[in-house]
Amino acid sequence: MIGKAPRWVPIAVGAISIFWIIPLLGIVITSIRPVTDTVLGWWRLDHIELTLRAWFSVWSKYPLANGFWVSVQLAGVATLGSMIMTPAAAYAFHFLKFPFRRTLLIIIINAFVLPQQVVVIPLFTLWRQMGLIDNLLSVLIPYIGLSFAWSIFLVKNFLEDFPHELIEAGRIDGTGPISTFFHIVLPNSLSPIFAVGILQFLFCWNALLIPLLFLRTAAPLPVVFAQISGMFDPNWDLRAVAAIVTTIVPLMVFLVFQRQFAGGSLATSGSKE
Amino acid sequence: MAEVALSSRGRQHDGSPSTERGGRKLASLRRWMADAPAAYLLLAPVLVLFAFAVVYPVIQTVWISFWDIKGLAKPRFYGLGNFIALYNDANFRQTIVTTLLWTVCTTALSVSAGWGIALLCSLAPRPTLVPRVMIFAAFGVSEAVTGYIWLGVYRPDAGGLLNSLLGATGLGQFAHPWLGDSNTAIWCLIIAYSWAQTGLPLILIFAATQAISRNVLEAAYVDGATPMAIMRHIIAPLSMPGVRVALFINLLGSLRAFDTIYVLTAGGPVRSTETVGFFMFRESFTQFKLGYGAAATLVLLVAVLIVSLPAIIQRTAGAR
Repeated sequence: MIGKAPRWVPIAVGAISIFWIIPLLGIVITSIRPVTDTVLGWWRLDHIELTLRAWFSVWSKYPLANGFWVSVQLAGVATLGSMIMTPAAAYAFHFLKFPFRRTLLIIIINAFVLPQQVVVIPLFTLWRQMGLIDNLLSVLIPYIGLSFAWSIFLVKNFLEDFPHELIEAGRIDGTGPISTFFHIVLPNSLSPIFAVGILQFLFCWNALLIPLLFLRTAAPLPVVFAQISGMFDPNWDLRAVAAIVTTIVPLMVFLVFQRQFAGGSLATSGSKE
Repeated sequence: MAEVALSSRGRQHDGSPSTERGGRKLASLRRWMADAPAAYLLLAPVLVLFAFAVVYPVIQTVWISFWDIKGLAKPRFYGLGNFIALYNDANFRQTIVTTLLWTVCTTALSVSAGWGIALLCSLAPRPTLVPRVMIFAAFGVSEAVTGYIWLGVYRPDAGGLLNSLLGATGLGQFAHPWLGDSNTAIWCLIIAYSWAQTGLPLILIFAATQAISRNVLEAAYVDGATPMAIMRHIIAPLSMPGVRVALFINLLGSLRAFDTIYVLTAGGPVRSTETVGFFMFRESFTQFKLGYGAAATLVLLVAVLIVSLPAIIQRTAGAR
């Protein structure tokens, strides 16, 4: 900014931000105070006692450890799957010529508007017929399949600026279309592929509707958490720990990679200059 | 939601010089590279999964909506029966009203809050870094957890922040079972969801303000404009591209919202917080009326398509 901003500006924004995280702070404090104190309000200062009891006992009370492991598997495999398959498709759509290229591209990149609700009813029937309910594949297939709608667009947009000289040079040296992809385009497209990975990881870790419907025993964290967060469970401390465990991984990924997140958002929003 | 952020608008394709850098235009490069078998080989896994996860279910949802399917009873063809039933269903009409209220309010609240904060931040980018991250953090919380976090604010007992705050400020007579009252529950949800969704408009619009050319700002400053005047007359109008992207993304997100509603109110009390995206879940998977749920889903799909029509046109035109 040019010139000096009025002093009240950072103060006002700071006050808003403190106000903003109060509900979040409440969860953290509830998780480290005895529940007998926090039923009267987590903010009260008349009797201060900190305890990690909830942090230790929550694991035996709720299937959180199992949920964490399921979430790691689901988000990990789905993220890798999207990161591996997307670049090949984006490359083919951008640099190769084949029948129905533009039609397929238009269908795929416009599917990003589809809500998950549109796919769950038929998939539920299909998985039941195939015996895939409670199998991780029942969730991984829609996770990865739905991701292409935005991931291919993202990587293809990046390829718009890919120098043609590199491809032509490789071609003159005798590389075929597939080895051009593996040896020239792929090694030079790591940043959009990484962006796809971050977004897909966040999306899959936080997903609730699809695993809620298709998984029973192998439930990931958001599903486990949704099941224990009903209003009439008095274990506020345990549920606060569960809330933190559920969201800590995506929250950290978010905060660490927010620069890439903002940069990527801007790059595809058409206001790059 | 986040995925839409990165893909909401295509770059303008106007044959800019950068795409023709190699001397050879893209179309002729493609002709030169032409190899359909190789292309399909690279595309095969994507096409198979996309067909499985998107194409088949979307077509099938349309097809199912013409059938009367209840639990394990034998399905029978129903024509437009499900849609007529929806039209006559008082609950569904209520759902439409709730969805409109929910979508308009959450989008307006989150985008205007994000815009306002972003404009303030643009006056002092460096000192406001930490506050920005704090507000953005709310957007990074899983939506299911957002519901629970706000349960701690609205709960009716002594541990509920909102009622305690009212009591402490002498407004105790306004204390209320906020989530238990069908008139206030939807507003509780709107506030909670907008709280979480403000981070994205904030960061998108702030980025747009940082992309404004320094020359413009310097010129205004040299002409004697105060920082507040610069903000109002230069930064605010020039941040509009960011505002438009944020509006679209949050609108789409609100229409499909499910997680926060499921955890905070589960559609209640007396179905007062059911949006169409939740209604379809309830009808299909707790009442097992799959055909009826599919018909409701199509109503949601139509709403989504109307909202995204400009984006779809832009993407289709830009798909080269």
